[in-house]
Amino acid sequence: MKKQTTQQATGAQTLVDSLAKAGTEVLFGYPGGSVLDIFNCLPEAPFQFILGRHEQGCVHMADGYARAKGKPGVCLVTSGPGATNTITGLATAHMDGVPIVCITGQVPMDQIGTDAFQEADMTGICRAVTKHSFLVQSADEIPETVAEAFYIATHGKPGPVVIDIPKNVQRAFTSAQYPERVSLRAYHPESTASSSQMARFAKLVNEAKRPVIYAGGGVIASGAAKDVANLAHRAQIPVATTLMGLGAFDENDPLALRLAGMHGSAAANYAINESDLIIALGVRFSDRVTGKLAAYAKRAKIIHVDCDPASIGKNVPVNLGIVADVKDVLTTVNSRIKSAEHAAWLAKIAEWMKRRPVTYKPMHPNVIMPQAVIEAVDKVTKGRAVIVTDVGQHQMWSAQFFRHNLPRHFLSSGGMGTMGFGIPAAIGAAIARPDHTTVAICGDGGAQMTFEELVVAVEHKLPVTFIVINNACLGMVRQWQELFYGKRYSGSILSVRGRMANERLEQDLKYDYLPDLTKLAEAHGADAYRVIDPAKLDATIRKAINSGRTSFVEVIVEPRANVYPMQPGGQPVEGMIFE
Amino acid sequence: MKEEIHRLNCYVENKPGVLARIVGLISGRGYNIQTLSVGPTEDGTVSRMKIDVVGDDKVIRQIILQLNNQVNVIEVTSRRRA
Repeated sequence: MKKQTTQQATGAQTLVDSLAKAGTEVLFGYPGGSVLDIFNCLPEAPFQFILGRHEQGCVHMADGYARAKGKPGVCLVTSGPGATNTITGLATAHMDGVPIVCITGQVPMDQIGTDAFQEADMTGICRAVTKHSFLVQSADEIPETVAEAFYIATHGKPGPVVIDIPKNVQRAFTSAQYPERVSLRAYHPESTASSSQMARFAKLVNEAKRPVIYAGGGVIASGAAKDVANLAHRAQIPVATTLMGLGAFDENDPLALRLAGMHGSAAANYAINESDLIIALGVRFSDRVTGKLAAYAKRAKIIHVDCDPASIGKNVPVNLGIVADVKDVLTTVNSRIKSAEHAAWLAKIAEWMKRRPVTYKPMHPNVIMPQAVIEAVDKVTKGRAVIVTDVGQHQMWSAQFFRHNLPRHFLSSGGMGTMGFGIPAAIGAAIARPDHTTVAICGDGGAQMTFEELVVAVEHKLPVTFIVINNACLGMVRQWQELFYGKRYSGSILSVRGRMANERLEQDLKYDYLPDLTKLAEAHGADAYRVIDPAKLDATIRKAINSGRTSFVEVIVEPRANVYPMQPGGQPVEGMIFE
Repeated sequence: MKEEIHRLNCYVENKPGVLARIVGLISGRGYNIQTLSVGPTEDGTVSRMKIDVVGDDKVIRQIILQLNNQVNVIEVTSRRRA
């Protein structure tokens, strides 16, 4: 260890200073033996520290913060189990292209590789679920590494970056300063469209008879929602969005086809199927969107704009692939788009919308339909809330029944499909956007995975409303078992007292609703409400959201409700099921 | 598409963990590396990796694009091996 001189600081202090220089406003984390030196610097840190209750929750909070704010989320955890607990959170952010910088403690360098207490090879473990990772070997490297980590997390396709810092490095002294600028020898992700690509883009659009814009999360990341709307309006092009792209186009617009894919609208999927030009912007042609690849958009030429060169042509061959920022491309291309009407095409789409709307029917007069919960929240918040979902049926209903109209207002684990995302991500989002109403929509399954984070919202008096749509089962699993596994409900029914091991439940049961989530929320200090009566749904949700307090609403809903329409995995569009 | 042996030439930053990152990227997708050699270049801060992988053109293209996305990879070239 070097001796301290007047200009020197510890590695831990240098890290905190560097995080501040990098623009950190909020740090989410959980302490432990290998990061005590860093935690010791936090009371004087110029940013806010938020204590989570599980490291996975901390990463999801940072993730929700990043998605809502459009700035990197930052978190700090200890070595060993603290580090390994972040993996699901990192994988979630990696799949959805969310910028996160995650600091993990590490055992002292002389103990690395000795199976020391709370030692885990973090850079090895996290390799497949991060964009990049660093093992810092000297305190002198800390400022530069932090600067590089933020650069990597936010340039090219955004993603999570891990900085693993051994304890002795945190305690060593250094005079290293935060660099003025970052220059990475081998990483230069910026790429722009050539003028011939732009010309070809405009020509394809101007010649198309049945064009469709297919907009994804890349549009939101690029801040290109207005440019997409300009393109759509200029040439009257209908717009379908992916789950990650919800909010990239106002669904109140007559050109909105809304969600495409497995649980997308018939109009969106039929339009893509019959289109002669797909304008794919910031998407990656996920299997949840395409269904059967060989049958996908067979009649269409495809323009694909994305910042990730590896996503172009990965799943679907394209006629014009452009590696560039969506906003940059549209800024130039839009002025070359001729106005068009596409009247026959839009009439056909309107007919599909009318014939196959996304809708539902009540199944029992005294039982709340889960879709009605989403409609109630949409009504109460006038479509302006930041909606954060967990994963499962409620996520798809949230995608279908909110009228999404603003970017960064629908936060959901799209690629990884991480149950447990909702509660902590909503906390991160609420901290990022204190000026907005934040509503978390969860299922009873996912809520139980990260319920412990609820107390964080209570502690910080965050005005978040957590809504749990309780159908006493893992609804999406149950739905697949009903439709494709002969109604053998193996492992998908929650809350049955006195259950058998290895059960195979074929009939609907009387559920016990265990644990009592409303009491559990009360135990965490939230205002908790349970709604069973359909007549009280709207009023309870209004009361909770308008209270300005951390509130929790458990809504007991119809357990047999399914998500429709559905284009089963690997099926062509003709295989869509409507009820 | 036809599966053939492709020789990938990767120039990478000579830093700890880079080899594991490259190999993990290929093996994690289920592709088997037939031959691998790593050595220094005249520039001591750059290493050269020669990697032989079996795959069709689409697979190899995807691997190259993913390799290029890596922070420590400077350049990747490939050719079919007879």
